[in-house]
Amino acid sequence: MVQTLDASHTAPAAGPHRSDIDIRNVSKSFAVDGGTVQALTDVSLAVRPGEFVSLVGPSGCGKSTLLRLIAGLDVPDSGTVAVDGQKVTKPSLTRGIVFQDHRLLPWLSVEANILLSLNSVAGAAEEKRTRVAELIRLVGLSGFEKALPHQLSGGMSQRAAIARALAPRPRLLLLDEPLGALDSLTRGYLQEELLRLWEHEGIAMVMVTHDVEEAVFLSNRVVVMDPRPGRVRQIFDIAGARPRQRAERAFVEVKQDILDLLHLHRHAA
Amino acid sequence: MSTAPPTSSPSQPALTRCGRLWRGALLPIALIAIWAAISAAGLVNPELFSPPQVVLHTAIEDFASGAVPFALAATLLRALIGSAIGISAGFLVGTLLGLSGIARRIGDPTINSARQIALFAWIPLLSAWFGNGELMKITLIALGAFFPMALAAEAGCRNVPVPYREIGRVLELDRLTTLRRIVLPAATPALLAGLELSLNIAWLGTFGAEYLIGTGYINGMGDGLGAYLAAAREFARMDRVIVGVVSLAVVGLALDRAVVLLSRRALPWSRH
Repeated sequence: MVQTLDASHTAPAAGPHRSDIDIRNVSKSFAVDGGTVQALTDVSLAVRPGEFVSLVGPSGCGKSTLLRLIAGLDVPDSGTVAVDGQKVTKPSLTRGIVFQDHRLLPWLSVEANILLSLNSVAGAAEEKRTRVAELIRLVGLSGFEKALPHQLSGGMSQRAAIARALAPRPRLLLLDEPLGALDSLTRGYLQEELLRLWEHEGIAMVMVTHDVEEAVFLSNRVVVMDPRPGRVRQIFDIAGARPRQRAERAFVEVKQDILDLLHLHRHAA
Repeated sequence: MSTAPPTSSPSQPALTRCGRLWRGALLPIALIAIWAAISAAGLVNPELFSPPQVVLHTAIEDFASGAVPFALAATLLRALIGSAIGISAGFLVGTLLGLSGIARRIGDPTINSARQIALFAWIPLLSAWFGNGELMKITLIALGAFFPMALAAEAGCRNVPVPYREIGRVLELDRLTTLRRIVLPAATPALLAGLELSLNIAWLGTFGAEYLIGTGYINGMGDGLGAYLAAAREFARMDRVIVGVVSLAVVGLALDRAVVLLSRRALPWSRH
């Protein structure tokens, strides 16, 4: 399917453009130093259209692997990952992804990095340039169009990476610890930016994070995973209108519940 | 975020650069001084060991007569034509080997064997095929330039970091766009290193070709610095030998500097 830049199908109220994810009985192992590591065992999870879901859990619980399976960068050993009822077999521009290491191409300017994501999208050059300019404004990088990635701060690089992922109008955005490498101030600020982008785009977002507060702040649901072998431990529904107040009692309680569950596991391990 | 105003005065870097230049010149100046002293003391036969003032005089004379500039131009032109051919071919073959596993399995053993052959060991074979004229010299130079570039291009294209490759997959880039926008830029540092080595070997090869091939009695002396040196040796003109050697060194160094300068301009992103 060819992506287009047509804005009409991404109006937040519209229905069919917002993807759902259906993960069924997925297992995945990797060969490491002659042995095999079971990254995921029999994981099932459904993400509704327009939902914000976070995956949290200790290192080795397979949360990044799960994200890469949804992206189509890896394929499961068994089970299926389907987006909009279509089995995922390879990456697609309909599923944007942002990595922890921003992965901007160091030899391309901010503008050229974002434009590259429209290379395989149908549309006139002028239309694409307009879209890039729009994205640069949206993520607050105006004035840095011609900057090379090494001239940007960590936070700005990550904004550019988010713009690159959003430019082709994906129906789903996958975020692999996008704020993990940032200082806490920048991090808090970008969490609010992410929230704004999520509301603006109206698409489902799945985020891997180590930061429980970040997960509670942003998500409709927080999926807590267990390691060795990676599996889903418990799913928390997070109620409350956004933007959520971090000091509010309900916020603190659910955050504590999740932390307790994670620590419980650590002590048991 | 970057733009803090420079705190050091602008003359600071120029000064240290000047200092570096002086330190680099120290040893050659000392050697010339020793050379002059030995010559002046009459310790050596001036026919075999020309004193500096004689060499300087010959240099001025041969530059003015056009002998050295003409030889230099001929050598440089030959080196550039030969290396342009060799580097282009090396780039194409190396990129193909770097991109395609099948091409690599077919091509790698041959290339790895062929590159073990010393450049001048090709001379008997090439002269049998191409004679002792210009075609032969250019072929030899091109061959010298070919291998470093081919190996560098292959390694550069193979060693593109996985995260960048994944960006190509995630953005659904076609093969040509991936090559142009991801593989070749990522390989640029390796390509420039290959370019430097290729030019280096081509320069050595050019001199060798001129000196060893262009001096046959059938073909006459040929032209270029190699021929100039061969003639100087033939007539036991050690002053000319030294002029030729120094000219070779200076042009070789200039070529190398040019590549380094090009590298800096081509890789603004890798300096940080």
